[in-house]
Amino acid sequence: MKVSGGKWVHGVLSVVLVFAVGCAKKELVKSTDTAPEAGISTPTTPETQPGMQEPIVSETLKPESQPSETQTAMAGIAATQERPSDFPDIHFDYDKSFIREDARPILQDVADYLKSDPSRSILIEGHCDERGTAEYNIALGERRAESTRNYLVSLGVRSGAISTVSFGEEKPMDPGHTEGAWAKNRRAHFVRK
Amino acid sequence: MIRFPGVLLLSLLLLLFPSVTGAVLYIDINAPGGKRMPVALPDFVVTGGDASLARDLPGTIAGDLAMTSLFDVIPRPAYLERIVTEHFSGRRLSFPDWKMIGAEAVVIGKVEVQGDQMKLEMHLYDATLGNMMAGRKYTGPVRRFRKMAHKFANEVLYAFTGVRGVFDTEIAFTARPGKGKGKEIYVIGLDGKDLRQLTDNRSFNLFPRWSPDGEWLAYTSYRTGTPQIYMRNLFSGTDRLVVRYGNSKSPGSFSPSGDSLYATLSVGGNSDIYRVSLSGSSVRKVAGGWGIEVSPSVSPDGKSIAFVSDRSGSPQVYVKELDSSDERRVSRAGYYSTSPSWSPAGDRIAFTSLSEGRYAIYTVRPDGSDHHLAISDNGSCIDPSFSPDGRYLVYTLRKSGYSELKIASVDGRWKRRLFKGLRVVGSPSWSPRQ
Repeated sequence: MKVSGGKWVHGVLSVVLVFAVGCAKKELVKSTDTAPEAGISTPTTPETQPGMQEPIVSETLKPESQPSETQTAMAGIAATQERPSDFPDIHFDYDKSFIREDARPILQDVADYLKSDPSRSILIEGHCDERGTAEYNIALGERRAESTRNYLVSLGVRSGAISTVSFGEEKPMDPGHTEGAWAKNRRAHFVRK
Repeated sequence: MIRFPGVLLLSLLLLLFPSVTGAVLYIDINAPGGKRMPVALPDFVVTGGDASLARDLPGTIAGDLAMTSLFDVIPRPAYLERIVTEHFSGRRLSFPDWKMIGAEAVVIGKVEVQGDQMKLEMHLYDATLGNMMAGRKYTGPVRRFRKMAHKFANEVLYAFTGVRGVFDTEIAFTARPGKGKGKEIYVIGLDGKDLRQLTDNRSFNLFPRWSPDGEWLAYTSYRTGTPQIYMRNLFSGTDRLVVRYGNSKSPGSFSPSGDSLYATLSVGGNSDIYRVSLSGSSVRKVAGGWGIEVSPSVSPDGKSIAFVSDRSGSPQVYVKELDSSDERRVSRAGYYSTSPSWSPAGDRIAFTSLSEGRYAIYTVRPDGSDHHLAISDNGSCIDPSFSPDGRYLVYTLRKSGYSELKIASVDGRWKRRLFKGLRVVGSPSWSPRQ
C-alpha cells in the first residue's frame, strides 16, 4: 500500500513537473533544465530510492507556488487602492466593533452568496476613521473584520471561506475630515476572491 | 564606528590642546529662562571647495544651538575680525574685538576639500579667558558636511553644560509620496535637512522603529498585500522578514540589548503583545487578553513595558513588569490614551490622550504618579517619541487633513516644525545617538 501510494504521488508530481517546465518563463528554464533527467525519468524506474527524489520535486514546484517579485509588488500597490465589491460596506460605531442592526441584511446577502457555492470565498477588510493613532487603528480594524467573520459564521458560512485583513485608518472611503466622512470610513469591505 | 565603509568615515582625529577648561559649567541646562550665552559664529575658512560651506557650516551649528534656548547667536554684520588660516596655526584671535560686540564665546572653523572628501577643523573659544574650550578635526565625504557640524554642536553644548547634545540624531517617519495612495518611510536630520526615502514600493509602509545601535529600522509593510514586519539594515539597504506568525503586525520597540523586538501581533482578530527573538525567531506572548493590546514601549532597563489596552472599555496606557503578572494603568486623562514612549532615563512615559475634545501629549511616572499635560497645540498632538537625551519629544500635529512633525522640549515651552514638503506625515521615531 505504502509503495503504491508513493508511486501515485510521484506520478502526480511528475505531471506537475512537466506542467511547470512547460509553463516556466524563459529565465526559469535554466533551473528546470536539470530536473527532467533527475525528476521525470525516475517515476518510470520504480527501483530508484524514493528518498532521493523529494528534494528535486520540491525545488521544481517552488516557482509555481510562489508569486514572482513583480506579482507581489503589484499586490502591494493594489492593497493601497479601493477594491471593487459586490456588496455594500457595513459600518461601525466609533471605537467599536460590534455588528450593528443596519449591517444584518447586508451580511445575510454575503452569507447567502458564500453558502450557495462551497467554492466561493471572500476577503473582509477592516477599516477605521482617522481619529486616534494609526497603530491602535490597525488592531481595531482587525477586530472589526473578525467580528464580521464571526457573524457570517453564525449564519452558517464556513470559516475557511473567509479571510481578513486590517488597513486601520490607511484607506478612507471618504477623504473628508467630518463626522459624516468618519462614519463612512469605519467599515468592513467585502472583496470576492 | 567604521561599519559604514565608503559612505561615511567620520573619524575623530584628534582632540587638540588637551588643556581645555575642564569641568567648569557655564550654563545650567535645567534652569530654563536664565541668561543666554552670546556666541559668535564667523564664516569658516574654505580651501578647495564650494565657498557656500563658509556660511552653511556655522549656520548649521547656529541652528542647533538655537534649539536649546540657551544661546544667542550674534548677527554676522557686527563681527570685527575675519577668520583666516593662520588662526589655526598659532595666531590668537583678537578677543577684545569679540568681547566688544558682546560675544562670550567664538566658534571658528577651517575646511579643506579634496575631491568628494573634506577635512573640517573647529575650535570653540571662551572670549573672556581667551582659551580653547573644545577643538575637533573631522574627515568625511563633503555631502555629509552637516553631520560633522552637528557633531561639533554637540561638543559646544557639552563644553557649556556638561550634557551631550543630540544634534546629529535623526527622525524616521512615514509620509505619502507625490504619487499614489501608499506611504513610504523616510529619515531626516534633526535640523530638517538631509531627507532620505528608505522604502519605494508604493504600498503601505508604517511604524518605523530604531534598533538601539541605530543600524536597523523595524517597520510594517503591506508590500506583498498583507501586513508583515521587516527589518531594514540602514548600512546595506537589505530587508529581512521578522515574523510570520499572526495576521496584522506592528513593531513596538526593540529590547535594550537589541536581541528581540516587542511587537503587536494579531491572531484571530485579537491583538496582543509578543516578544520576538531576532536570533531564533521564537515568539512569546508577554501581554494580552480579550481586548486590544498594542504599542509596546520597553523601559531602558528592559524590565518593563508600557502598552495600550482597551480592556477597561476604552484605550488606556498600562505598565507591566515582565517578570511578574502585575499590570497597572498609568493614564488617567480622558477617554482615549495611546502610543506610549518610555523616556531614555526611564523616569517618565509620554503618551497621547484625548481630553476636552483634543489630543495632547501627557507624561507620567511609570508608577502612575505625577501625571500631567506636557504638549498641546492648535490641533491633535499624537505619537510622541523621546530624544535620546530625554529633553525633547517629536510628535505629529494633525488638524483637518493637514499634518506635520514637530519637535518640542518636554516641558512644552519650545516647539518647532521639523520640515516642510511632504504630505500625510506621521509615526515619527527618534534615532538613538549616532
